[in-house]
Amino acid sequence: MTATPPLQSRTIVVIPAFQEATMIGEVVGKLRALGWQVVVVDDGSRDHTSLVAGNAGATVLRHPVNIGQGGALRTGFAWALSIPVCEYVVTFDADGQHDPEDVERLLLPIAMNRTDVVLGSRFLRSDDAGRIPSLRRRLLRLATLGARLRTGLRITDSHNGLRAFHRGAVARLRLSQDRMAHASEIQREIARLSLRYQEVPVHIAYTRYSLAKGQRLTDAVSILWDILTARMR
Amino acid sequence: MLRSQIVLIILMVLYALYVIRLRTPTRDRLIYLGLAAVGGCLVIRPDWSTSIASRLSIGRGVDLVLYLFVVFSLFHFATTAARLRGIQRDLAELSRSLALLSPERRSPDLPRTP
Repeated sequence: MTATPPLQSRTIVVIPAFQEATMIGEVVGKLRALGWQVVVVDDGSRDHTSLVAGNAGATVLRHPVNIGQGGALRTGFAWALSIPVCEYVVTFDADGQHDPEDVERLLLPIAMNRTDVVLGSRFLRSDDAGRIPSLRRRLLRLATLGARLRTGLRITDSHNGLRAFHRGAVARLRLSQDRMAHASEIQREIARLSLRYQEVPVHIAYTRYSLAKGQRLTDAVSILWDILTARMR
Repeated sequence: MLRSQIVLIILMVLYALYVIRLRTPTRDRLIYLGLAAVGGCLVIRPDWSTSIASRLSIGRGVDLVLYLFVVFSLFHFATTAARLRGIQRDLAELSRSLALLSPERRSPDLPRTP
């Protein structure tokens, strides 16, 4: 009996990145050190994001113009699906918020065929919940409640970019939001396709860098607007 | 004819000439030319707007023109916004195609073709 190939050879980690030359090298490096295959989608950066990412060992796909994080994810998904041996796709943030050690934990439920989608949640871990700045925490709770009302999904952390998918789930997703509202759209798709989903506690590192880049109030408003107008498209 | 009427007529004619030379679809251009013609008529015979307005129970001819302008503007906003969204979608798809066609520093471990 042949041994099953390790998860690393059947998984692609997709990192959408815009102007992340500072952190992307470290993020890609850590993931590569754990053996993961990394694809960085450079969404029209004007800095050296592509160069740094490539040197750190990632495959780089470059958008000539900035089209939004959702669009970058879609490109990454298209790439992953074009690779026949890729069975699992993980989405990972470029700013160093996510912990590469969590990737394996995210994949296990899918690998054991207990679920199709795994969503990382910072709220499931009691030790992290206290360290989130309170305004951001309340905004996240609000967005989460809204998502739950609209889609019926019981999700505690709807704007966490750390997610894992089985290839079949990725192939069925019909994403149209190219800008920020893709998070809510992914949830709507999970509900629409009745995909099995599960949340797994993950560690989020709030450094001054990631806080500065994180979602601001104006982003929350634009996310809301995108969702509301999506129905009319 | 008043001086103001002459100026407005000239502007209408210039607008009409501009529209004729535009490369937009013919149907659109005919609409805009029609509007310019209507505008020209109303400039020459302002009492026409008043009589149409009174038949619609609107106070003044000016108000009628204003209401029509509002309706037209709303319509224009909506269609322009839709067109812009369509362009953004196309742009995103183009960017994606380009990105996927020229990957940089392909990882040697995962073959793209079986």
